[in-house]
Amino acid sequence: MHTANRCVLAALLVTAGALANVLVFAQGPVGPQAAPDIVGEWRLDTAERDTATQAPLGDYTGIPFNDAGRMRSETTPESIWSTAEYQCRPHSAPHQWRGLGGARILAEQDPITRDVTVYHVQFMRSLDRPIFMDGRPHPPAYAPHSWTGFSTGQWIGNTLKVVTTHLKDGYLRRGGPQTTDMYGMTEFITRHDDILSIVTVIDDPLYQDQPYIHSTTYSYDPTLRVPTENCNAPATGETGGSDRHFVPHFLPGSNTAALTEWITAGGLITGQARNLAVAEDWVPLTAARGGVKTLYPEYRSTINGATVDTAKAAALTVPTLKSTVAAAKLIADESPRDGEVHVLPVQGNIYMLVVDGTNVTASVGSEGVALVNTGSLQMVDKVLAAVKQLSALVAARATANACIGATCPGPWGWSSPYMNAVIASPAAPRPIRYIINTSAAPDHTGGNEKLVAAGTGLRAGQLGGAAGNVEGAPVIAHENVLNRMSAPAGKQPPTPEAAWPTATYNDELTKLPTYFNGEGVVVYHEPAANTDGDSIVTFRRSEVISAGNIFSTVSYPIIDIEKGGSVQGVIRGLNHILDLSVAEYRSQGGTWVVPGRGRLSDTADVASYRNMVVIVRDRVQDLIDKKMTLAQIKAARPSLDFDGRYGSTTGPWTTDMFIDAVYRSLQPKK
Amino acid sequence: MRKRVPATAVAVFLFASAGAVMAQAPPGRGAGGPPPTPQQAAAIDLTGYWVSVIVEDWKWRMVTPKKGVYEAIPLNEAGRKAADTWDPAKDEAAGEQCRAYGAANIMRMPGRLHITWENPSTLKVDTDAGTQTRRFYFGTAPPAGEPSWQGSSVARWEPGPGRGRGTARGGSLKVITTNLKPGYVRKNGAPYSANARVTEYYDINTLPSGDQWLTVTTNVEDQQFFVRHYLTTSDFLKQANATGWNPTPCSSR
Repeated sequence: MHTANRCVLAALLVTAGALANVLVFAQGPVGPQAAPDIVGEWRLDTAERDTATQAPLGDYTGIPFNDAGRMRSETTPESIWSTAEYQCRPHSAPHQWRGLGGARILAEQDPITRDVTVYHVQFMRSLDRPIFMDGRPHPPAYAPHSWTGFSTGQWIGNTLKVVTTHLKDGYLRRGGPQTTDMYGMTEFITRHDDILSIVTVIDDPLYQDQPYIHSTTYSYDPTLRVPTENCNAPATGETGGSDRHFVPHFLPGSNTAALTEWITAGGLITGQARNLAVAEDWVPLTAARGGVKTLYPEYRSTINGATVDTAKAAALTVPTLKSTVAAAKLIADESPRDGEVHVLPVQGNIYMLVVDGTNVTASVGSEGVALVNTGSLQMVDKVLAAVKQLSALVAARATANACIGATCPGPWGWSSPYMNAVIASPAAPRPIRYIINTSAAPDHTGGNEKLVAAGTGLRAGQLGGAAGNVEGAPVIAHENVLNRMSAPAGKQPPTPEAAWPTATYNDELTKLPTYFNGEGVVVYHEPAANTDGDSIVTFRRSEVISAGNIFSTVSYPIIDIEKGGSVQGVIRGLNHILDLSVAEYRSQGGTWVVPGRGRLSDTADVASYRNMVVIVRDRVQDLIDKKMTLAQIKAARPSLDFDGRYGSTTGPWTTDMFIDAVYRSLQPKK
Repeated sequence: MRKRVPATAVAVFLFASAGAVMAQAPPGRGAGGPPPTPQQAAAIDLTGYWVSVIVEDWKWRMVTPKKGVYEAIPLNEAGRKAADTWDPAKDEAAGEQCRAYGAANIMRMPGRLHITWENPSTLKVDTDAGTQTRRFYFGTAPPAGEPSWQGSSVARWEPGPGRGRGTARGGSLKVITTNLKPGYVRKNGAPYSANARVTEYYDINTLPSGDQWLTVTTNVEDQQFFVRHYLTTSDFLKQANATGWNPTPCSSR
């Protein structure tokens, strides 16, 4: 090519290049018209070890733990996975994006607008995780928690912001660092070319000094097929020998060597899934315990080799992030004391009525209403109104006419106006047929008198009364409940006679004489639990258990030693609930459990609560064995890691009273 | 016989059109006016002080691991061989104690960033760790000089969806860095070569607390020393001022 031609060509190319610049600039500030497409198969793709692999026991580097979080984690062994109720649980939400197997994101669309209404995220070991994009609110605090929580999403620029609540307790990283069930999670999901970045904010103020925030990356991989891992674990625990109720845990201070083995020994660490090539002995032991100060660059000034100047570290001032999770309020809202009745459908025939700090369980159907507990005296009118409304909605519902004129089925063959008149005049609500009291507690029996009077007994027989309908619903309870509510002749009873149980039992269990609303209803006595008269009630077709005071999600169990209660009895009762329960899938759902106070729960929630009671009992027993006095035991704070969740320093049932009750339960019988 | 287009002409074309690729139309100006500068067109405001929050791989970032600990880094055999020759004293003697502070790893170092606009089309990132300076050029980068720790970086905004003008839509910053001096992706000598190409994505998210959180997704590609790309994320919290800014020289240990 001639030089002149070359120059012309070069000039043309330069001009074309410059023109390209102008054209692009001339387009104005045009971004993509729609949110990025995140649907598809994504492969976990990161070079960060903390992301996917299992950290050794005791490695809390980078985690802003407070003392409670650290204690809970240090005393939780990996073998907790082998307990019956946890064997099929998926990874906890903070770790879900980091589990192996990749992620599949699907979108559900509005058929008219084609807007995405729900994203579904699937991982190998998890349930389908919906992220609602339709603007719906989050459920009330007394709704159930799950492993994946309840998520809503919103696009902000090119980032999908996801807010998740209603999460079960779990772990931050596979293998140890624990969370409570009060944490909130916010995620920011951004697609860059074929890389997906997920920033996850885990805000658990009960266990953290500031939110723990990590980020994870995925690569788009259309050849990937996210597998599913079905769980066929046995229904009984794999540890504890023949004890299916065994709760593995370390007593505080008993496993110090194991917690630091990854630093001091390396190699194959006993009982751990990971084989460390070398002892990670460049990591200061103090730093391995985590804490907010270790996260910031300033901390480096306190490190000298593998040691930390702890005094200097303690004096450090570092930036901190504020928590936005009001844990105390969330816990209180699980059992709101707002003077109202809130109705939550449970399963089958069963509804949970949240009644100003306590729960009433209602079976509602064509045969009428059976109530487990009646709430406090002050709330009885509102409970009665709610029950009538519920009964009308469920068993005598006004529904729109679905047929027209002579085509309508039935002997009349016409719809209007006769049918619409019928629609406008639905049947009366079905009556209250049974009341069952799980204990004599005033906030469970306070409404007895009025609700009994408003009810109608079903028939004669085991429960007494004349044949056919009888005035007043019978009240079923263990006979010790009657003993607590009544008094020997000549003495002033604590409650009016009209509120007393009328059909007591003193055996292991009793039943309603026949199916009620299409299912068997069985009442079990739980001896020496909160008191000597506790019961639980099972609705066998609906798969619901009303647990009474044995189970609460808002406080330590209230144990009244003077009335025959004991921590051992509470644990037996909780284990009995677990024996009667079956999870639906992945250790959640299935049998629902209505606690005496708090949110609707499932097997895993009861297991978590049972574990807590067992752990505190064992710690107190250990301190008793060390010849500590009650005062010394309280000072040792054996329930430190649970106090933020279940404890209280004020009110009718404090942490102090609970420890006192546990201590007294464990004293030798005289 | 087909005529070959001269290489110089192609290079000039690519250089001239690079602006079309890496520079872009920013929001805020209507047709007819001068195009807004990259600073005016910023999809997100990265300026200010940011402090790193070391929540992941703490044991490899806050402290220097032993020689031979290359876990999670996709080194190939040549990479491992090079890593096994790590000698911090030798690096110091050679004046190369900044090897771990190059563009492929500087965001992983504990420290603070100070980000400013050096001019309307150049974003400057100063780090107190190692007292390094990076420059992100929007549009046409200046001619590459000698390879350096921070190399040559070209940047572009990736705006969020929508056609709004003059309104903040959010988005990301994408930066591609080449022309690097060989360095380390971990302070204990895990290497990247002069052929490494570093692609970064900068995202700012507003936390529930209202704080600003910067996440830098870093993708290092290096066929000389890696079997596959090396993908990490680094996180920073926005600070109101320079509190804690503590310039320190590079350290090879």
